[in-house]
Amino acid sequence: MKKFLQRFYIILILLFLYVPILVLIVQSFNAGKSRAKWEGLSFVWYEELFKSSAIMDALKVTVTIALLAAVISTVLGTLAAIGIYAMKKRPQALMMTLTNIPMTMPDIVTGISLMLLYLFFRVDRGYWTMLLAHITFDIPYVILSVMPKLKQMNKFSYEAALDLGCTPGQALRKVILPAVKPGVVTGAMLAFTLSLDDFTISYFTTSPLVQNLSTLIYSQARKGIKPTLNALSALMFITLLVLLLIVNRRTADNHPVKS
Amino acid sequence: MADNNVSRAEYVSMEEQPRLITLNNISKEYDGVTVLDHINLYIRKKEFVTLLGPSGCGKTTTLRIIGGFETPTEGTVIFDGQDITNLPAYKRRVNTVFQKYALFPHLNVADNIAFGLKLKKTPKDEIARKVDRMLELVNLSGYGKRSVESLSGGQQQRIAIARALVNEPEVLLLDEPLGALDLKLRKEMQLELKSMQQRLGITFLYVTHDQEEALTMSDTIVVMRGGRILQIGTPKGIYDEPKNAFVANFIGESNIVPGVMLKDELVEFCGARFACVDEGFGENAEVDVVIRPEDIVLVGEDVGHLTGVVRSVLFKGVHYEMMIEAGGILWKVHSTTMEPEGSRVGLSVVPFNIHIMHKMEEANAK
Repeated sequence: MKKFLQRFYIILILLFLYVPILVLIVQSFNAGKSRAKWEGLSFVWYEELFKSSAIMDALKVTVTIALLAAVISTVLGTLAAIGIYAMKKRPQALMMTLTNIPMTMPDIVTGISLMLLYLFFRVDRGYWTMLLAHITFDIPYVILSVMPKLKQMNKFSYEAALDLGCTPGQALRKVILPAVKPGVVTGAMLAFTLSLDDFTISYFTTSPLVQNLSTLIYSQARKGIKPTLNALSALMFITLLVLLLIVNRRTADNHPVKS
Repeated sequence: MADNNVSRAEYVSMEEQPRLITLNNISKEYDGVTVLDHINLYIRKKEFVTLLGPSGCGKTTTLRIIGGFETPTEGTVIFDGQDITNLPAYKRRVNTVFQKYALFPHLNVADNIAFGLKLKKTPKDEIARKVDRMLELVNLSGYGKRSVESLSGGQQQRIAIARALVNEPEVLLLDEPLGALDLKLRKEMQLELKSMQQRLGITFLYVTHDQEEALTMSDTIVVMRGGRILQIGTPKGIYDEPKNAFVANFIGESNIVPGVMLKDELVEFCGARFACVDEGFGENAEVDVVIRPEDIVLVGEDVGHLTGVVRSVLFKGVHYEMMIEAGGILWKVHSTTMEPEGSRVGLSVVPFNIHIMHKMEEANAK
């Protein structure tokens, strides 16, 4: 009986989590416009999706921003992690706390504060302000992925490289980066994923003229949900699912659970 | 004993070697704490010098200053006539074997050893030749393609040594390189390192807290404590003539008792007078008297200088270790013959084996 209840509970949770998404995916293949009636299997909404220039523009914005933000935040975050690692204990603890705060802060607070910052400096919001915002919220996650790898490294590795004739720059390239590479790759993928599915912060840091997919869906949904959005959401869900699975697999490999 | 005589003979020839490294008045402070307090030291070419002392005595800091990983707060480091105090580590003609090996896990054994040569743009075939020669030297021929993480601690240590030696440094710095190995392996590696050093004719600067290791391997031992050098000498010199009670206690085992130097060659302790060979302490000077456990001879109850009672007996393999109470002091005595617990014995020491030392200075005693 107890076992049955446990199973039932878990199944209930999973249903609540995934049935909406499942409905959405199924609906994206519905030939009719009505959500109440199944009118046969069709790819018509997917076709329309790729014909819509608004959606295609938004897709371009989303992907380029995710890529740029991932690359830039990975470079900055990795260097920051190395710098923080080299600090003495107390400044190091302080920096790590400062790094963690943005991650625990609600997105809406980050979004609004960035918007206020742009307004204060009279920066016109658009593509570049959104990119800057994405880089900002990505960096802490990169630092957090790289730091454990640095801590696992033999603390004399850097000195050994210098000892064998490396300049500090060569030591970074030939010894430190190879040692932290798995963490860097994980951080980059995490940054890409976070940027790809962000709505709240993007909403506050761009103008209505430059939309990414999530802000576009939001503004269109206010006028009533078109079935093309079902198709779009289904595609986004699948993409993010795949990316997250890869990230999780990597993280699991990096921190093997001791049984 | 014979071994120690050999090292002294070598040390005599060592004196003809030019000085390679000189430390002038080196001090190092971290956040106001003095770790090194005006160290003066020179190291000759081809010499095997050991910095010996308890943890926190400044021995590793001294090594790191020579390696270029620390800059002294005060003083200069002279290498082959040139001031290298501010020269970065990668420009120095020294190489280091680190405490935990610090091999690069993303490279295989051969690439680890070749690391320094590749930086110097050595031709490929020459690198291959030198790496093979090094693997042979450390008895790991054929291990080149292995990953370093698949090797045991002892093998990793050999690779770390090979990686440093392949660059043909003028000085090899070794920071407690055998600390992580078990006793048997450590003894083997001590002998191997020593013979390697003699064959290659490279100067070794070795850091350890293990006095036996220091006595076995070194031409010269530098005993350190609290950021200062207490004594510099050959292993035999330091063992036989420790400068103060700390050195005597740190190098080997000792009985240290307070005494009064009545006049030259006559000392009083435990209520008895002993002939000794030391002089120049003045009259009625308070001193420390050091006697090694193996220098106390057990004799008949009535013929010894002191009479005592055996309190405990331990069998130590080669000898027995007995604690004997005599003259109000518990003496540690090593002897190949055993006296049963509770028996009364006489203790005797020949004058030559009584070492008189000044009371330790306050500064050193902290």
